[in-house]
Amino acid sequence: MLTVIQNIILFIVLILAQVLVLNNIQFLGFINPYIYILFIISLPVSLPRWFTLILAFAMGILIDVFSNTLGMHAAAAVLIAYARSFIIKLFTSIDEGNNPTPSFHTFGVGAYIKYIFVMVFLHHATLFYLEVFSFAHFWLILFKTLLSSTITILIILGLKSMSRR
Amino acid sequence: MRNLFNFLIQYSVLILFLILELISIGLIVKNQEYQKSVFLSSSNSTVASMYEMSNSVVEFFKLKASNETLSEENTALKNEIIQLRNRLETIKPISKDSIRFRIPPEMEYKFISAKVINSSTNKLQNYITLNKGIRDGIKVDMGVVSDLGVVGIVKTVSDKFAVVIPILNDKIRINCKFTKSNYSGPLQWTGFNYQFASLNDIARHVKFALGDSLVTSGFTNTFPEGIPVGTIDNFNIKESDPYYSIRVKLAVDFRTLSHVKVIDYKNYREQRYLEQVATEK
Repeated sequence: MLTVIQNIILFIVLILAQVLVLNNIQFLGFINPYIYILFIISLPVSLPRWFTLILAFAMGILIDVFSNTLGMHAAAAVLIAYARSFIIKLFTSIDEGNNPTPSFHTFGVGAYIKYIFVMVFLHHATLFYLEVFSFAHFWLILFKTLLSSTITILIILGLKSMSRR
Repeated sequence: MRNLFNFLIQYSVLILFLILELISIGLIVKNQEYQKSVFLSSSNSTVASMYEMSNSVVEFFKLKASNETLSEENTALKNEIIQLRNRLETIKPISKDSIRFRIPPEMEYKFISAKVINSSTNKLQNYITLNKGIRDGIKVDMGVVSDLGVVGIVKTVSDKFAVVIPILNDKIRINCKFTKSNYSGPLQWTGFNYQFASLNDIARHVKFALGDSLVTSGFTNTFPEGIPVGTIDNFNIKESDPYYSIRVKLAVDFRTLSHVKVIDYKNYREQRYLEQVATEK
């Protein structure tokens, strides 16, 4: 019950932070961190997968409505929500009965960083390529993706290392 | 039948994933093809009023810069008034009714001032939301300028809000010309830096120099002639190219944009109608 309330609060706080603060932060004019995916990243591991997908879709659409990019964030968020369980299986070995929340503590530092890196990069790449909707500017977009991912990953790791567990 | 159910249950997550992705992609494609719907975008009034609230805080920090530009403009205008008054004084006819001053019909522009309540500079397709709409007389396709120069063109309007496509969007091209030589070409954003755009279609024989200024050409009916667009920052031409590639430093700083004016051209509809009739026949 406690985790449910915690996650609802996290959902609202992340959306407000993304829309009101982070969408206005643009390092060097074009690097824009998207930390709202921290919500999808830190959902409990054995939450039903269909439910994860629905949550990711809701989150994405809400962000979209506020940033005039209808569908783009939703598509990217649903994609990483679907890929999440495979990525977790790839990097960690969690027993069937357990239901940990992803963190440095439960995954191990190395595995957690790898997990976050893959999730963030996948999300940003999908988002930026959907935004352009063609591969015409392939290298430019890849460069933008790398820069923005780096900043997002740094912010997420910073936030995570500040929390106790 | 049972096999079908088994199949559906086994792959239910994958199917849900595909459905959600299809919905998202559908939304994106629909929005790229048609006019971005006023509903579910930031000209939606709930979302926009929330932005207006957050903007009222942010605007406070921009007050100083805005005030400076305003007072500069004010002094310039006052100077102009004095000059014009002096000139009027000198050419005033002796008998009062012999000359009538008239505004030529093509000069009938009116400005509607508006405030930017949401904008972005980091995407390939940026948009700006204004706090005025149909209620204040704003219509689709009107030009938008700030004190410093051209901003963009109104794309959609709702009752109280309007969404503008700024120069910082690869869908828009603005025709502009050199103040010195009057050669014109389309200006388009390169998609990377919010301070620079590129000017194409300037032929080899045209002469210009770094720092030359560009203004709107007045060929389209959204902008009157002579509104500043930017200055030439850099250019080069390859041996084989017929055209220059020119980098233009934009006159407007889109990151600090807060007050803009929408241009209302009174004869827009008449001119548009006449041009349409002419091309149809």
